[in-house]
Amino acid sequence: MANRIPSFLLDKPDSDIYSEDRGKIKLSFIERGINQVADVIRSGYIQWDTATNDGFFQRLDARIKMIFLLFFAVIVSLKKEIMPEIYLGSFIFVLVLMSRLNIFSFYKKVFFLGFLFGFLIAVPSAFNVIVKGEIIFPVFQLSKDYRFWVYHIPADIGITREGISAVSMLTIRVVNSLSIAFLVLSTTPFPDIIKALKMLKVPDSFLMVITLSYKYIFIFSKTVEDMHRAKKSRLLREVNSAEARKWAAGRMGFIFRKTRLRCDEIFKAMLSRGFSEEVKIYKPRKLKSRDIIAGAILMITGVFFIWY
Amino acid sequence: MHIPDGYLSPQTYVPLFGASLVCWSIGLKKIKRELSTKQVPYLAMAAVFSFLIMMFNIPIPGGTTGHAAGAGIIAVLLGPWTAVIAVSVVLIIQALIFGDGGITAIGANCFNIAVVMPFVAFWVFNLIKGKSRDPKRLSLAAFFSGYASLTVSAIFVAIQLGIQPLIARSSSGTPLYAPYPLSVALPVMALEHLLLFSIVEGVVTLLLFKYFMKNEPELIYAETGNGT
Repeated sequence: MANRIPSFLLDKPDSDIYSEDRGKIKLSFIERGINQVADVIRSGYIQWDTATNDGFFQRLDARIKMIFLLFFAVIVSLKKEIMPEIYLGSFIFVLVLMSRLNIFSFYKKVFFLGFLFGFLIAVPSAFNVIVKGEIIFPVFQLSKDYRFWVYHIPADIGITREGISAVSMLTIRVVNSLSIAFLVLSTTPFPDIIKALKMLKVPDSFLMVITLSYKYIFIFSKTVEDMHRAKKSRLLREVNSAEARKWAAGRMGFIFRKTRLRCDEIFKAMLSRGFSEEVKIYKPRKLKSRDIIAGAILMITGVFFIWY
Repeated sequence: MHIPDGYLSPQTYVPLFGASLVCWSIGLKKIKRELSTKQVPYLAMAAVFSFLIMMFNIPIPGGTTGHAAGAGIIAVLLGPWTAVIAVSVVLIIQALIFGDGGITAIGANCFNIAVVMPFVAFWVFNLIKGKSRDPKRLSLAAFFSGYASLTVSAIFVAIQLGIQPLIARSSSGTPLYAPYPLSVALPVMALEHLLLFSIVEGVVTLLLFKYFMKNEPELIYAETGNGT
């Protein structure tokens, strides 16, 4: 009996279909697109999920948490010694524990980003080529010093005490800043963060733009994910780079059109609900005494860290 | 390009936050004058578009893929002031939700990516385009608007990082913030952008510009001077 399966389905697909080699782009650009969109959607859900846990920080008013975030981020940037930074890190660790966040996943993210943006970027500065000082780990020896314009390469190259100190300081500061940011962001729903920004005198129209953008980023992210999946489902083999670029440009153009159309729809919806010239976000409720006490304790601790 | 917390001293991030604040205030006033009540959904959708551009990976010559920052093409499509607000909103959301870029560095990141990039892109586009309607010249203008805007923005970042060892050192002479001096930060940032990242930005700007020129030229602000 004759085979009725179309010939293009009988062709064995390239086993290396998702890789890139010899300058040919295959399907990895679609995979990357899907992964990026998935990350966006996942981050939104994770934040929503952890922010609704029952812990110390989740119960606090968003305004207190925003003041804490700004105050402590500035304190971390003001410290000039390693020990106070370590004490600050320990204090944040206690707050993370009290907020019943998953310690493992929380610090996995913090340390990964801290390693990437703190340690890895800064590590070459531990060498005496960047930060001069006392060499404690000699690495390489040249026959003589080299001078070129403003650059000086010494004959003895190695890791300096001062360089290690600079890298450690930067890494721990990045880790502390990330911990503070993730602690607040993981325990506060995004709409509450926006309402809390009103207290900082951010104009209502600007807050409204942020709120609308946040909502529609997730809605349109799904559209973008669908586009990538639809394209992937129609492809069996590698695609030509020029064709892939044309597809991406076309999809971006389509998204632009969609956002323009949605802009008109939102505006009409706003008008139909009686929207006039003025954008007004209502004042949040009064602070509870529990929030005031917790806020005062956090502020006093912050002042202690400033003086320490 | 996003500067994380810890790299900039207060002497740097406070003035840059002030500069961004001034630009946001001017931008909001200008857009309100042009769009009146429609400004909120318009800016929100511009921000959404600016965010989503980064979700598309573009194959670039050499066998790899990359995505654009998008501030340049937003400035050409929607105008520089709309781009200032839209890209700033995206950067604020990225910092507050995804932890991209530091909280203390929000002002610096907005200044570098949401203020410098759109204006450089818009000026370069108009400078190269002139009064010409030649498609080749328009394409060249689009590519270089993306290319130059990201490169200049990277140079601003490099300068801000490179001056840190001059601003703040411990008593033993150890840099307290970004450790690389200008002589290292500037050439490294400039070269990696001139040779790689800015090319991606230029290609994406060119592709999108060509798409709009072919299908909807009336929507391009830099061609019509009208963002609505």
